[in-house]
Amino acid sequence: MTNLSRRDFLKLARDGFLWLSGALALGGLLRFLDYEPNPAPKTEFDLGPADQYPLGSRTLLTDPPAVLLHTESGFSALSLVCTHLGCTVEQNADGFICPCHGSRFDADGNVTHRPADKPLHSLRVEITPQNTLRLRLD
Amino acid sequence: MRRILTPSSFLTSTLLSAGFLLALLFVWWWNSRAPTPIVLTPTLTGKPEYCLTCHADLPEISASHPVETFGCVTCHGGERLVLDKDLAHSSMRGGANPSDLSVVEASCGGSNCHSGSEADDRHHIQRVTTSIQATYAGAIANIRFTFGAQTDLSPHYGIHAVSDDKTQTGIQSLLAFDPFSESNPNIQKFGEECLTCHINATPREGDAYARQTGCAACHTPLRLPSNSENLGGVSRRDEGGGVHALTTAIPYTQCNTCHNRGNYNLRTMTFDERTDHSTIRLYDYYQPIAQFTKCEYTLDCIDCHTRSEAMGDGDIHADQKSIEYVQCKTCHGTPTELPLTKTLTDPNDLAFRLAFLNPVIDLKLGDTILVTEKGEPLWNIRVLPDGTYEMYGKATRQYFTFRPVMGSGCTQTGEDQSSSYCHECHAVER
Repeated sequence: MTNLSRRDFLKLARDGFLWLSGALALGGLLRFLDYEPNPAPKTEFDLGPADQYPLGSRTLLTDPPAVLLHTESGFSALSLVCTHLGCTVEQNADGFICPCHGSRFDADGNVTHRPADKPLHSLRVEITPQNTLRLRLD
Repeated sequence: MRRILTPSSFLTSTLLSAGFLLALLFVWWWNSRAPTPIVLTPTLTGKPEYCLTCHADLPEISASHPVETFGCVTCHGGERLVLDKDLAHSSMRGGANPSDLSVVEASCGGSNCHSGSEADDRHHIQRVTTSIQATYAGAIANIRFTFGAQTDLSPHYGIHAVSDDKTQTGIQSLLAFDPFSESNPNIQKFGEECLTCHINATPREGDAYARQTGCAACHTPLRLPSNSENLGGVSRRDEGGGVHALTTAIPYTQCNTCHNRGNYNLRTMTFDERTDHSTIRLYDYYQPIAQFTKCEYTLDCIDCHTRSEAMGDGDIHADQKSIEYVQCKTCHGTPTELPLTKTLTDPNDLAFRLAFLNPVIDLKLGDTILVTEKGEPLWNIRVLPDGTYEMYGKATRQYFTFRPVMGSGCTQTGEDQSSSYCHECHAVER
């Protein structure tokens, strides 16, 4: 075993400390750069196989809040986000009602009762080559 | 030229590098102490907030303001992406109370929120800032007139400066009252001692007066009436001393934090607290009257007094008397007239909105409700097929039925309708 002189020991320790410091600083920098305080909201949602939604069905989705419609003209979707202030509307016998401020919409999403003054937003539904559905918010 | 390090230089540089490493480790450790953020992206703003990292245990403030929709920052302000407590709270509006009138427009305003149009009856902030409860205009004018600072009782000053471009009362503006610019010492003392009741004033000390300021003075009751005969009610404050709740079902105990607590002594210009508060509500009579009919001690204030009386109608008024108008006859009619009614035919009628916010009654199109002479809906009172009326307590949900005066044995004239006349026969014996 080689005898380590005091000078070599100090040099080795110093270099070790500096390497560790460098690694720690680099790790911190990477962590800082990797951090995403404002993650972009999801705009695409995979809804699974299209044949899960038979013709004539109205399927309530929770993420995103929407109702998926399958009609003779194909698939479409209505956002369940109230156009007044953004609460999630609830389905009832006449259409939709907002639990926050009482706006009402008919089954097609048209306003029947203020305070909302715009219809529920239509959302784009695409059929992928694999015959699955993809809902897009953009 | 190569620099030769001496042994002491080696030791120094090693110690320095060790210190540097320790410093970095300390920073890393300090940083790792921060909690993992809980991210909420409210649908209204679409901007992530970290507030729930520390405040996930707060109850929903109201059904109309779900946190998933509004988040926290929309109303409270603050630094939405900061996890350090002091820094995150540094830019909050109104401290823990964003409804304080000094910040209410930024917190609660907006055309879709509470500074909407008058036509839609959504100009809540305009109403409350011009209301007597906020301006105290009548009291100020009275005191200034009494002590010779003005020659009549016209209001010139309010607690804060306020204007009304569309005045219906002829009062277009009020200047901000500054008691210390007054020369009369009584008016100065009035300013020091007697301005604790307007809704943006810090209340007097003591549980009996405990309330918040601004909208929360009424809409965030700190105590609720108890079922027992404890008039102080039950505290609903959380461990931090606050209450995270908004309601339109305001119990009389909240009104009592300002009203009915005592009198301002005009001789000494001090507040004389009542000492005769009973633990039984019937005996805790409302001071100016000193009498109660049954409805006056079983109902809550908001069961009779309307929203415009309590919160203003958007106009600047001279005094309390010019905004309060509901009388016994509003609900009971007179020997010759039935109370005014309205059949609900419009799904957008204000009555439906108010009943939605405080669902004590299941109003339907076609229902006939009572209305005041100004057309305000008494939406919690419905006409029954036999001509009597049913009423649901707005704060208690209690169910009552009552008859009109017409057809009864009452011989009171239609003109003499102040409560003192009705009390002559209908005051409850104590």
